[in-house]
Amino acid sequence: MAHAIETHGLTRRFDGRVAVEGLSLTIEAGTVFGFLGPNGAGKTTTVRMLAALIAPTDGDAIVAGHVLGVDDTALRGSVGILTEQPGLYDRLSARQNLRYFARLYDLEPARADAQVERYLHLLELWDRRDEPVGTFSKGMRQKLAIARALLHEPSVVFLDEPTAALDPEASRTVRDFVKGLKAEGRTIFLTTHNLPEADELCDGIGIFQRRLLRMGSPAELRASLFGAGTVVRVVGDAARYVPVVRALTFVREARADGGTLTVQLDDPDLRNPDLVEALRGAGARIRYVERLQHSLEDVYMRLVAGHP
Amino acid sequence: MKKALIVLEKEWLELRLQPTLLLATLILPPLITAFAVAGFFVVGKISSGVTLPATPLPPEFAGLSLLEIGQAIIGKQFSTLFLLLPIFIPSVLASYAIVGEKRERTLEPVLATPIQTWELLLGKILAALIPGLGITIASATVFVAGVLAFAVTDRVREIVVTPGWILAVLVDTPLLALIGVALIVVLSSRVNDPRTAQQISAVLVVPVLGLLFGQLAGVIVLGPALALGIGVILAIIAAVALWFATQLFQREVILTRWR
Repeated sequence: MAHAIETHGLTRRFDGRVAVEGLSLTIEAGTVFGFLGPNGAGKTTTVRMLAALIAPTDGDAIVAGHVLGVDDTALRGSVGILTEQPGLYDRLSARQNLRYFARLYDLEPARADAQVERYLHLLELWDRRDEPVGTFSKGMRQKLAIARALLHEPSVVFLDEPTAALDPEASRTVRDFVKGLKAEGRTIFLTTHNLPEADELCDGIGIFQRRLLRMGSPAELRASLFGAGTVVRVVGDAARYVPVVRALTFVREARADGGTLTVQLDDPDLRNPDLVEALRGAGARIRYVERLQHSLEDVYMRLVAGHP
Repeated sequence: MKKALIVLEKEWLELRLQPTLLLATLILPPLITAFAVAGFFVVGKISSGVTLPATPLPPEFAGLSLLEIGQAIIGKQFSTLFLLLPIFIPSVLASYAIVGEKRERTLEPVLATPIQTWELLLGKILAALIPGLGITIASATVFVAGVLAFAVTDRVREIVVTPGWILAVLVDTPLLALIGVALIVVLSSRVNDPRTAQQISAVLVVPVLGLLFGQLAGVIVLGPALALGIGVILAIIAAVALWFATQLFQREVILTRWR
């Protein structure tokens, strides 16, 4: 699969302060990549560099087939960006806003009008097309800003906090829309603080704090940080089975909490039958056996905040 | 260049949607012209109401009748206002076009498109300059027609509508307006309120006021040579101001340094 974004040692300094340090990553075309990190981590600076809005101090990148710094105008024409703030002209109508940007993206008037109509329909704003944007709700403004980023049908789309400050219904609409974009084969570079959202949408995740701390699929990140595991719920106190479980050679760690036994082991698919048999042999009455799930938040907290 | 025109079209569309701003800004030249022509006409009819100023009159007024002096003073005073208007109007429009856009955070999405920053700047400068200059020159033409029609003698016509004044309107004031707009761009990197930018850029009217008082005091005679000389100086200042403006109006600078 081709790479939609490829960076090598991408670095940006501001007056001696390093905002982004040696970022090297590859993002495959047609995937959703979540770029996670705390406030001030350099996410927006990274997006701005990749969208050819500001130049890197060091390093290089290829975005949507364009080498950063060589033909930035063409690069900007090949990517779409939802900026942190929607940044819309309040006095202009939704249609006038989009038409202006469509023309700036080099769409001829007839095609611009057709694209504006298409996206206003897709994002359910058609009925309000001629109303001033200043009268729109936050969710509607955000949807309009997303439409603006897509008018020229870019292959790579940067979405900076697309669901920030949106109500659950509007957030759901935006998430479904992002899934639709992925289904169309576009590459989405998503920055968000909403970790469940990233878990739901992203094929790949990069945890970033001035530099890339870890990168991989959500499952890979979980496995690399927490290993694989199984949760066994038993009748009564699970603590009495801990010594039995720890004695098994394939078990790395076991702990009990009430009737729940959490077991970390190398290959659950292979070893779970042995684990269950050992527990039954020790007299355990088993209610459920489940896969141990760590949330993306657990991953994030461990990497960024150093929490266990 | 095409994108500069797209920007210009959008600016004017936004301007049309602000009728109060549009009216408050563009009504001035016609209003001043109406007052000027009416005042000129009335003073030409009622010489008994005119009292001469205590200050010495300019040498060019020598030998004029009281009636002629009254008309000449009114005509001179109003004619200088046409040198001020092209500074005022584009500065107001530019402050809303640039500072306003900065405040509404619309610059980043615009800069994310394939537009060149010079195209964006040119579109905004033209959008601010053309209405102000257009309506001022149109109003000045009406003023000249009024002077030619209602002047009591040819001497008055020659004193009010001089080649130097015409050159100043056509050459110097557009340059002053350009300096004003460039100043607004420079100020835009530091202020977030269009009115603050307007107030600071209002300093540009000072040299024009100096010209007005200098003329009335007879110290300065705005002949063609002086008008062209001022034009050359203004062209140099405008070039420097535009250079500064373009340095500040770069994608990188706007996104990382404008506060």
